[in-house]
Amino acid sequence: MRINWEDLQSKSFYQATARERAYGIVDKDTFKEFLGPRDKMTSPHLLILGEAVEFDDGITVGVGMIKKHPVFVISQEGKFVGGALGEVNGAKMAYTMKLALKTYEKMKEKYGTVPDDRKPICIVSFDSGGVRLHEANAGLLMHSESMETIWELQNKVPYIALTGSTIGAYGAQGFVCLSADVVIANDFGRIGLTGPEVIQQEVGKDEFDASDRALIWRTMGARSKYILGDVDYLIKDSIGTFRDTIINIVDQPMSKISKTRKVGSPQLVEENLEVVKLAAEKKIKDSKDLWKIYGNTNVDEIPEMPQDKFLSVVKRRPRRI
Amino acid sequence: MITTLIGKTEEAIQMIFDKDSFQENIIGTTHLDAELAPPVMVGQAMLDGEICSVLANNSRRPNPRFRVVYSGILGMEEAYKFSQAIYATIDADKDRPKDKKRPIILLIDTPGNSPGKIEEIVGMTKGTASYQFAIEDARLAGHPVIGMIIGRAVSGGFLCHGLLSDRILALPKEYGTIVHVMPTTSIAVITKIPLERLNELVKTNPVFASGAEYFYDLGGIDEMVKKPEDMRATIIKTVKEVRDLRKQGKGDQLGIWHRGEIGAQRGGRKKRMEAIKKIDEEYQKILPELLK
Repeated sequence: MRINWEDLQSKSFYQATARERAYGIVDKDTFKEFLGPRDKMTSPHLLILGEAVEFDDGITVGVGMIKKHPVFVISQEGKFVGGALGEVNGAKMAYTMKLALKTYEKMKEKYGTVPDDRKPICIVSFDSGGVRLHEANAGLLMHSESMETIWELQNKVPYIALTGSTIGAYGAQGFVCLSADVVIANDFGRIGLTGPEVIQQEVGKDEFDASDRALIWRTMGARSKYILGDVDYLIKDSIGTFRDTIINIVDQPMSKISKTRKVGSPQLVEENLEVVKLAAEKKIKDSKDLWKIYGNTNVDEIPEMPQDKFLSVVKRRPRRI
Repeated sequence: MITTLIGKTEEAIQMIFDKDSFQENIIGTTHLDAELAPPVMVGQAMLDGEICSVLANNSRRPNPRFRVVYSGILGMEEAYKFSQAIYATIDADKDRPKDKKRPIILLIDTPGNSPGKIEEIVGMTKGTASYQFAIEDARLAGHPVIGMIIGRAVSGGFLCHGLLSDRILALPKEYGTIVHVMPTTSIAVITKIPLERLNELVKTNPVFASGAEYFYDLGGIDEMVKKPEDMRATIIKTVKEVRDLRKQGKGDQLGIWHRGEIGAQRGGRKKRMEAIKKIDEEYQKILPELLK
């Protein structure tokens, strides 16, 4: 497809399609799509159920370059079945992650070592509610395949998660997102395991009122996750801003990039568990209670204040590791 | 006569491990916090004379600190306690050779991860991810990790507590086991596809069906264990198989990616392999350029 790369840079990340995000975050005209719409590999399961299908099954995967780095990109399309993962788009996602690792290994084999300025990168642009229920079992299994691969990427290939599209990173995609080395979000970013409607349905409206938009944003939204240290960069809403943030990360040594990991070691288990214990002990009822504990005094203003101001006044959870 | 092991984790432990050998909250020299995550039942036991770690959940114990953690639901404390148990296991065997690492046996009876507000504020996400990564760390160290579905293995609960094991075993539905993302009735509501139609389609397509036998076809389960009395012998046999494969350098015949291949062989997930093959062809073509 013809996409004007320059135009993409100023385009809203939130409004961009999966393919636009994929093309725009790598260097100009470098993106090569795997199993694109022309291959017409659609979901056989949606077809059997009489549902609409897409020729790319709602995901854009491929490889582009950022400077000398091969960048493996997985970009989810929330407008198609909520970006949810099934057998075909799930295989595209998990296997593209695997290719980032394979490329690292090939590079190591060829050069003996993988230089910092050339190491492969894996980027996922999240826009998904998790498992596609029409093919739920295959969707569940692909999540485990992704998680094992992310675990394999550790300390080799930087894995960068982007959130800031229409759906967010929900369901099992929530933890696929937070398994990243670095998480980048705009103010539309959302990360969670159980969506608001499901909590209300399963537990009750007294637990979570899914019609309360403000509650959703302050619980799952990027600002709360930034305060907790789950989101590492909170940025303005354009594809170019996401790209610039990524460019500033990729040349750093792996040991530095992995410093913002949220999971993956016994030390991080203890650090995360401390927050759980704190929340239980202080009987946290709302994100604002936790924001206060970390030193924020203006908690009622936080959700609405301009992003620049938020970033200049916010107090974040101190990381020990 | 056993009809089901749902909610009967203690009985399952008795049946599988050497008589009265289970020591809760002890792994090697580590004493795990007994107050933390009451639904989690972890510790060490003997299996055919060999020490191993038991990672079970007891659905009859709720967590008093988290209102949505009851009846087998795994919350944040539970995920982190499982992770602690794994790291304690790795630590206990750190000086043993790779082929002598103690097995880790997961007994699975969970309807899912905790769908609560506090879990979203603090991050159930990170809890489940931590547990999954810990299992991979244990596999890398050489510990055979075996998942045994004794009751429910549902959605996110199964994802963290079982799906990444070297091998997954399950009791059939005759013993009340439930393996799915959600019941077909709920899928009908959400997808707006009539239940009768879904039930008809299930006969030829296991991809959204509920049941261990369908997960078997998809490669989500390695082996069905016919009856509870056979669990012990099957687990002992499977531990040996895992060790033998690793010893022969065939570790790639274990775990979740291998089960993807099994899913294609058994006819449940053919399209997945087709997609992977096609992507790989395209990748091979541009690889030289990527390595330049």
